[in-house]
Amino acid sequence: MGGSHVVGAHAGHALEESPYRIPSKKLVMWLFIMSDAVTFAALLFAYGYLRNATPGWPRPFHFSPTVINAMIMTFVLVTSGFTMLIAMRAANLGNKAGALRWTFITAVAGIIFALLHIREWIGLIGEGLRLFQNPWGSGLFGAAFFTITGLHLSHVVGGVIALAVVAIGYQRGRYDAGHIEIWGLYWHFVDIVWMFVVPFVYLLNIAH
Amino acid sequence: MDETSRASQAAHHAPPQGFIRNYIFSLDHKIIGKQYYGLALLAVLTGMVLSWLMRIHLVWPNSPVPGLKWLAHTSAPNGVITPEYYLSLMTMHGTLMVFFVLTNAPFAAFGNYFLPIQIGAEDMAFPRFNMMSFWMTFLAFCVLMAALFVGDGPPISGWTAYPPLSAVGAVAGPGQGTGQTLWGLSIAIFCIASLLGSLNFISTTLDLRARGMTLMRMPLSTWAWFITACIALLAFAVLLPACGLLILDRLAGTSFFVPANLVVSDQIQPHSGGSPLLWQHLFWFFGHPEVYIAIVPAMGIVSHILINAMRRPMLSHKVIIYSLMSLGFLSYMVWGHHMFVSGMNPLSSLMFSFPTLVITIPSTILTLIWIGSLYGCKLRITSASLFALGFVSLFVSGGVSGFFLAQPSIDVLLHATYFVVGHFHLVMGVAAIFGVFAATYFWFPKMFGRMMNERLGKIHFWLTFVGAYLIFMPFHYLGMAGNVRRYSAFVNDYLQPLLPVHRFITIAALATGAAQIIFLYNLIHSRFRGEPAPQNPWEATSLEWTVPSPPPWDNFAGKIPVVYHDPYQYGVKGATGDYVMQDSPQKIPTVPEEGRR
Amino acid sequence: MNTAGHNRDEMSKDLSGSVAKNFVIYVCMLIIAGLQFVVAYQHIDSSQMFLRMFLLAIVEAGLAVMFFMHMGAERRNFFVTVAIGLVFVLSMMNMIWSDSFRLLRFQVLK
Repeated sequence: MGGSHVVGAHAGHALEESPYRIPSKKLVMWLFIMSDAVTFAALLFAYGYLRNATPGWPRPFHFSPTVINAMIMTFVLVTSGFTMLIAMRAANLGNKAGALRWTFITAVAGIIFALLHIREWIGLIGEGLRLFQNPWGSGLFGAAFFTITGLHLSHVVGGVIALAVVAIGYQRGRYDAGHIEIWGLYWHFVDIVWMFVVPFVYLLNIAH
Repeated sequence: MDETSRASQAAHHAPPQGFIRNYIFSLDHKIIGKQYYGLALLAVLTGMVLSWLMRIHLVWPNSPVPGLKWLAHTSAPNGVITPEYYLSLMTMHGTLMVFFVLTNAPFAAFGNYFLPIQIGAEDMAFPRFNMMSFWMTFLAFCVLMAALFVGDGPPISGWTAYPPLSAVGAVAGPGQGTGQTLWGLSIAIFCIASLLGSLNFISTTLDLRARGMTLMRMPLSTWAWFITACIALLAFAVLLPACGLLILDRLAGTSFFVPANLVVSDQIQPHSGGSPLLWQHLFWFFGHPEVYIAIVPAMGIVSHILINAMRRPMLSHKVIIYSLMSLGFLSYMVWGHHMFVSGMNPLSSLMFSFPTLVITIPSTILTLIWIGSLYGCKLRITSASLFALGFVSLFVSGGVSGFFLAQPSIDVLLHATYFVVGHFHLVMGVAAIFGVFAATYFWFPKMFGRMMNERLGKIHFWLTFVGAYLIFMPFHYLGMAGNVRRYSAFVNDYLQPLLPVHRFITIAALATGAAQIIFLYNLIHSRFRGEPAPQNPWEATSLEWTVPSPPPWDNFAGKIPVVYHDPYQYGVKGATGDYVMQDSPQKIPTVPEEGRR
Repeated sequence: MNTAGHNRDEMSKDLSGSVAKNFVIYVCMLIIAGLQFVVAYQHIDSSQMFLRMFLLAIVEAGLAVMFFMHMGAERRNFFVTVAIGLVFVLSMMNMIWSDSFRLLRFQVLK
């Protein structure tokens, strides 16, 4: 104990340096992503737990339409991740028009994804899939399917709204490149969740 | 110092204008901290009254409780508590105490008020999140309270809400209809509020420390709040989807937690295929970290206060911090020890038993540091330091039984008995509450600008300390004698010989509860009539004592401090006495450790 | 808008690197996603299929985190903190599996 001079304080700063050297808002987005990742993981673990414990788990998905649809949705979402990256890059380089354009494209991709998803849901509901029952076996299938994809879909919709709000605010000068960047992080996170949802919720349940 | 950056610091929110901005929807972390404290006070009083009703019913099951028939006329006809209402009281008592008292008071209330000041910040990093966090907690509280008065009363499935009882709906008993749904909703809202709070605590601690306030120079209380926020960030993230699934089971007919062909109240349930054990896993995955969310802030607060009373630093600042951190990690590895009797895989029981025993190591290290540091010091006896000592005592007494319960072979016998009830009330409940009492007596002068009455505080301590032991020590005896928990009465059965013990506990509980009136009187009277508090009444060193009592709205009146020292420079020759403030530029002669002790 | 910690919010330098490099990453992610679909139609038992898909998903997510989310360009200690926190908590959750398999074995009613 007992140092007598300032350690780690830098002249010209009123504050101590953050150990991670990243902006507060970005840090908070990362923390939120960690928390949300655990939330999704808990749902996926619950799904896996019940799936393991249920003999004769339904495998209702066929190549057409479900798997094709999942392929298109995956392509759309991964591509939207790439366009978001371009938008983040443009914003950081001060290219306002480019950032707006690519954020807009990303949001449109998100809307396409959501529409494809809703169309798929409507199709499955038409086949008799409900939250509590389905024609193929354990009623847990629909519960798990709708809960996990539903939570993901709500994240996509929330992300589209957030991107729209941030893009408009960015155009009007209320928000800066940092905001585009943190919502880009969120968008990539939604993308990553989908990378786990597709194999576990769709591809493991393909009829053979 | 860079003038523009300081100006932008000070401008992050303007001084509040008007009553509503000032005291209700306030962005000021100090007001929000007080709001949390007030909410916790409301919750703890409600929870205490509920526990009185339970204790009264256990001993005098057939006598009416005056006034109760107005409050719960269906659940308690003529004021006589029905067995189901007893379970409702237990559920509400547990939920209120764990979520709205033990999480809110030591962590959210005092953390909000003092974490920014202790690190030299003008506010939390995200004041708007902070305000939302409190008001969502308040909403969660209102939703839970609504359960007391809707339909056929509050839920009966305990604060752990085990399915299938909690998942099948009104058929499972009174309160399992709307009441249980409101419970799930309330806890889900609480999870989101807690997430917002944690984000704020972590980013504030990392980003807004004043110049010179390195991580290792943060006071132990700040460290404890920071570590707690890290635990809460990921723990509540599991409870949130679990509550979601429970609500789906109840409202949408899914069967996540309800097994097939379940018969409840002579009716086959329409659910199929789920697993009640899954809820227990998800719930306790949150539930055990929650125990540390309650106790870690109290540990930090108590260390902070004891150091001030001892007038010298702890044996090791760093080891305390590392022990608190390892408690945080270990808290995620041990949740299965709540499930030894649940039908869980016996092999998992062993796997969970081992880290549970390991978790006693950091706890023991902490205890040894406290006791070792106390050894031979001239302790300043104040209400705050007495309650801090009481915390150590209760933590040890309640913790020792944890060694037994950590072993499945012993726990299987004791789990469903009062032994466990005694264990967690001492180690988590009363110990954390003692931390809150200590914090209240210590920081009240700073929060309200007036001193509390020390004499009343000491009387309050001795009554509460003795009372807590008189209430909860016999629980262990009851448990070993085979007294199962959650029974509403012991009429005409093998437990009748134990009734005198229960009567003793009930009287002790009523008396100890009544002793809290002294505290309430002291709190309210001192708030308005107490002696005006000086800036630094305890001759303490950390930053909260460098500002006026109470602090101005931006804490440091626009002048962000510079920190030169470790937080606990006691026992050194300072300009004003035997201590040097953290922001004092005075040089401290490097004295060998021995000389200081 | 609150700007506490304003001096932390100065415009961050671009961390994402060239578009060409990220295009390659993007194509890799598409290929990995495609491989998941291929694995789905392999004739292997479910646990093998799960394992392969899981590993592919981990690699894909890793690419996204390191390049699209710029984790590779942040300070190393930040990456270590986030990784340790998440991996630790998620790996602890695996303690639930043994019970789910036991449920299957103990099943008496269809």
